Amino acid sequence: MNDEVGGNQRRARFQALCQSLRPDLLRFAFWLSRDRALAEDVVQESMLRAWKARDSLLDETAAKPWLLTIIRREYARTFERKRFPTVNVDELIANEEPVLAAAEEQNISDVRAALMKLPDEYREPLILQVLMGYSTAEIARELDLSGPAVLTRLHRARRQLRAACGEDLTQDPQE
Amino acid sequence: MTDHAHYRSAMMADPHDADPELLAHRESCAECRAFTEQLLRFEARLERALLVDIPTRAAVLPFARSGKTAQGPRRWMAMAASLLLALVTAAGVWLTLPQRGLAAAVVAHMAGEPDAWLRTDVPVPDADLNAVLKDSKLRLKPDAGMVSYASSCEFRGHKVPHLVVQTPSGPVTVMVLVHEAVRNPKHFDEQGYRGTIVPVPGHGSIAVLMRDRESGSGDVERIAARVDDALVWTR
Repeated sequence: MNDEVGGNQRRARFQALCQSLRPDLLRFAFWLSRDRALAEDVVQESMLRAWKARDSLLDETAAKPWLLTIIRREYARTFERKRFPTVNVDELIANEEPVLAAAEEQNISDVRAALMKLPDEYREPLILQVLMGYSTAEIARELDLSGPAVLTRLHRARRQLRAACGEDLTQDPQE
Repeated sequence: MTDHAHYRSAMMADPHDADPELLAHRESCAECRAFTEQLLRFEARLERALLVDIPTRAAVLPFARSGKTAQGPRRWMAMAASLLLALVTAAGVWLTLPQRGLAAAVVAHMAGEPDAWLRTDVPVPDADLNAVLKDSKLRLKPDAGMVSYASSCEFRGHKVPHLVVQTPSGPVTVMVLVHEAVRNPKHFDEQGYRGTIVPVPGHGSIAVLMRDRESGSGDVERIAARVDDALVWTR
């Protein structure tokens, strides 16, 4: 009986933790996959995996990076399980139009469209840095890259985004 | 020695990099300062662009569709109960939460830290205050008022300084939202809190709020202006 009560409390606590982090986790998964439905599925599966592996979370304050890592792995597994056809970015953008166009201003929608077209290798470190507040060292650890490689990718990501949004690049440094 | 190319490359990788050599170069180079301002304007757009709102199908995580532990009629009863609970919760949240996104998030954050509102005359040690402010590249002039609470809080994906300043009108909460740009001041009066979110060009925004019972008309705006004046950005 006590075990059941304790288990329920633990489960409720874990559920509350997931709920509080859910908007950020969904955003992260969305920008990884660029597909809202897939993002939801990935987050859902990740939560179940996280629950099963809950004992490996020793510090609740580290829950967010722990869950982000699980989401990244789950997203990668999705591709291992299913052989998705080649991605058509224009189709993705059209499918996610309600989300992408929800911005009040046109210049925000422009950036979102450019983000959708950014290659994965540039988009992922950029999301981790700008959306999740990761440092260069944390991104390097998460993506298993060297620090300089992360900086190069971030540099290229911003350059490509700014170019796509019609920004003036004449003052940009060469790599 | 930092040259233009090195400085700009570093900024392209992280526009908020506060390396002292980079800052020194920026101070001494008008062209790189202009380059940085342009970059930071774009960065603000990028930050806002990433904050997509994703409406979801699933109501409860992570057990919304697991159903693996219950069997037969018990499973269906559990699912029905979960669904009912989710609907009641969603309805409750819908009815009670303020509807505006950023203001709602600020107010919701307050509920998690009730101790911050204590009236006290014990200031936060300077070292602790500076540690909280350092990540946002800012410091506070002494004339801002006595800071009785300082914490680096997780807020919409970023660590932000959450301060409480003791004023003659009572404790005032200040959140420095470097990652949240707003175009115009947004006033709100929600859930027993009265506040304002004011734009800080190039540095996002600051949210200032008081509890209703302690704020007089115009107090919040006046205090927000004073706090804004007292913030010194180090980048």
